[in-house]
Formats: sequence, structure tokens, C-alpha cells
Amino acid sequence: MTISPDQIVLWQWGALHINATLAFTWLIMALLTVGSWLITRRLTTGPELSRWQNLLEVVVTGLRDQIHDVSRRDPAQYLPFVGTLFIFIATSNLLTIVPYYLPPTGSLSTTTALALCVLIAVPLYGVLQQGPLGYLRHYVKPTPLMLPFNLIGEFSRTLALAVRLYGNIMSGTVVVGILVSLTPFLFPIVMQLLGLLTGMIQAYIFAVLAMVYIASASSASRSSGPQRSTGS
Amino acid sequence: MQIDWLTVAAQIVNFLILVYLLKRFLYKPVTNAMARREERIADRLEESREREAAAERERERLHERMERLEERRDAILEQAREEAEKERRQLMDAARDEADAARARWREEIEHERGGFLEALKRRSAEEFEHMARRALADLADVELEEHMLQALVARLKDLDDETLGDLRQTEEPLAVATSFPLDERRRETLRDTIHRRIRDDADIELASTPSLLCGIELTAAGRRLGWSLADYLDRFASEVDKRLDSGREAPEREASQQETRGHGDDAQAG
Repeated sequence: MTISPDQIVLWQWGALHINATLAFTWLIMALLTVGSWLITRRLTTGPELSRWQNLLEVVVTGLRDQIHDVSRRDPAQYLPFVGTLFIFIATSNLLTIVPYYLPPTGSLSTTTALALCVLIAVPLYGVLQQGPLGYLRHYVKPTPLMLPFNLIGEFSRTLALAVRLYGNIMSGTVVVGILVSLTPFLFPIVMQLLGLLTGMIQAYIFAVLAMVYIASASSASRSSGPQRSTGS
Repeated sequence: MQIDWLTVAAQIVNFLILVYLLKRFLYKPVTNAMARREERIADRLEESREREAAAERERERLHERMERLEERRDAILEQAREEAEKERRQLMDAARDEADAARARWREEIEHERGGFLEALKRRSAEEFEHMARRALADLADVELEEHMLQALVARLKDLDDETLGDLRQTEEPLAVATSFPLDERRRETLRDTIHRRIRDDADIELASTPSLLCGIELTAAGRRLGWSLADYLDRFASEVDKRLDSGREAPEREASQQETRGHGDDAQAG
């Protein structure tokens, strides 16, 4: 049984290889980019909208509102990173209803890559907002004794991000695979529906948590900054 | 559970490329479009607010104009009402004057007709009276009525009081004797003799026949008049008739004047 799309190698040349994870990722990227381009090349600013433009505006407005709710700041600078996280993960998870499709988020490599991106983005935004010293100072708060714990927390939450997403998506795929072999009718569909729900929730959780981490790093001076549970 | 680090690196690059692509093709155009739409909506709102303000100003202007027009209309109506009232009063006065004039004319005509009627009545009565008296006297005595009248005058001359007699004797004027009938010579002589004897011998006597006496004889001199005439009776008769007519006319006139007074009162109330 295939657990990860990484194991499906489509092309290999020496150490370089292209597996299903990359292929499906490119597919999703192409889908999103071409779809966005097709819709946004004919945007109207009048009161009458096409339904696709309306969909995009709803998505973008929803993302901006969510980011604003979490960060209490202008969402413009966070929108590309956090929004892309959500859209990519959500699209990747929703496409599981397509036969023979394997979600890239079911690969620990992909989730690790995304978590690493968050790991890098958090200090990046923090430094941009408060300067290097201002950002580094929050590692020794409330006391320098907390420095190792803060560092451990930084990496552990990144690991948690990666494993949470991977676990949820991979388990959904595996459960459906097992059910298909046991009871091929009806039950796999129910589980797949559940998988769609889980996929959307995971996309939301991943994006919101990334935003929370970035916001907390960017607003260390504000002790009443947004605090969210990191559990799933 | 395994991590393919090559795939991880590729996915990181893929993700960053996707961030760029979505920023380029999704977030920026959509955000810009929404911003432009908001701007247009704000512009339209501003425009509509300006239009609303302009409409409000226009409404106030029209309202003021309408109020001015209403005031002017009221003034014109008031003026027209006053003019109509004035005109009505003038017409009422003119009608009243005309009615008064008509009433005066009518009264004058009535007076005239009554005068004519009385004159005719007087003459007719005198004629009838004369006729009846003549017949009565003729029936009573076999003498002519003229003779009796002459005798009556002669008797009056004889019975004159001294004052009258003195006036008649002193006057230089001729003594005018008027009769309603022609005197024959014998009667003239009798009259002359009587006058000469009673008043003065050289008295100048003028004899004349005057039909206005109707039936009678009279002597006029020194502002005094002697004689007997049916005209006197008829004058008294006529004055009596006048008196009766006047008394008969006064009652309706009083009533008419009361009605007129009441009519004026109504006019005053109407005014």
C-alpha cells in the first residue's frame, strides 16, 4: 500500500527524480495560476460581477478578514504568504475526490517544506516589524532562562505543524484505501466526504496557526497579542 | 514515515513560486479591483450626497418661491375683495340713488296726477254743484240764481263793518267786480248804485266776467274780497278732499318710509 506520493517516482536521472508529490504540486500550481489569470484578466470594477470574480473576491475578502481578526493589523503584507498557504493546502485536499489523485499534503516532505517556510517567515516578519534586536529580545522574555524553552517551542511547533497536516491527510487517504479493500461500497465515500471536511479544516488550521505565530512574533511588545491554542 | 529532502527543497521552491504567482495573478488584481470599486462607490456616495444637498437647496428655493407666490396671491385676492366690496357699495349707492330718484319721480307724477284729478274733480263737482244748486234754487224760488248771488253781494255790502268800509273808501284803486256770468244792464246798474251809495259816489268800478269763479260774484279792492261764489265752497270742498287724500296718503308713505329705513339697516348689516 502506498502511504506517501513521494514513493511514486515518475522520472529519475541520477540522484534527481520527479515523484508524484512534485507532479501533483505543479498540477495544483498550474490550476491555481491559470485559473486566477483567466478570471482576473477581465475584472470589472462596476457593480456587476462575473460569478468567478465574485468567488475570488469572496475568497480574498475572507482571507483578509481572517488575517485581520488574528493580527489586528493591515492584512495586505500577510495576505500573499498566509493566503497562499490556505489556498494551496485547501486545493490540494479538495482534489482528493478526483480519482487517482494523491494529495501532496499527504507527503511529509510537502508538509515539512510548508512548516519550514513558516519557520523562516515568522522571524522574517518579526525582524521586518521590530528590527533584529526587537525580535530577538522576545526569546529572552520573560527571563533569559526561558531562552532554551522558547527555542525548543519554536522548532517543536514547526514540527507539530508539519506532522499534524501530514497525519491528518495521510490518514484520510490510508483509511479510504483500507476501506476500499474491505467494503468497497458506500463507506469509502462517507470517509472521503469526511476527508474533504478534514482537509478544509486542516487548511484553515495551518493558515491560522501560521498567522498566529507571525503575529505573535511581530507584536512581541504587545503583551495582549493574540494567543491561540496550538493543539489540533 | 520518511522525508525526501530533495522533495522538501523542491516544495519550498514550488511554494515560494506559487506565492509569487498568486500574488501576481490573484491577490493584487482582486485587491485593486475591490479598492477601485470601493473608491467608485465612495465617489458615487459623495456624488449622491452632493445631489441630495443640491436637491435640498432646490427644494428650499422652490418652497420659498411658493410661499412668496402664496403671499402674493393672498394680497391680490385681498385687493380684489376690497375692490369688489368698493364696487358693490358704489353700485348699491347708485341703485339706491336711482331708486330714490325713481320714487321722487313717481311721487311727483302721483302729485301731478292727483292735482289734475283734483282739478278735474273740482270742476266737475262745481259744475254738478252749480247745476244742482241752480236747479234747487230754481225749484225753491222763481228767481234766477244770478239774481240771488247779486242780492247776496248787495247784502254783504250793506252789512260791511266799518274797518272794511274805511279801507274800501280810502283806496284809489278801481273796485273790481268779477262775476261768473254776464250781468245784464239792470243788474249792473243795481250793483253800481249800491256801491256808489254804500262806498263812494265816484268810485271807479270795473266789471268783468271771470269763468274761474265757476259760479259766483265777488268784489276785490284794497286787498279785500267780498262776495259769494261757489268757488269758495268748492275750494273748501277741495281742501277737504285734499285733507282726506293727504291723510289717506300719509299712512302708506309712513309704511314705505319704515320699509326704506329697514332696507338701509339690512344694507348696513350686509356691508
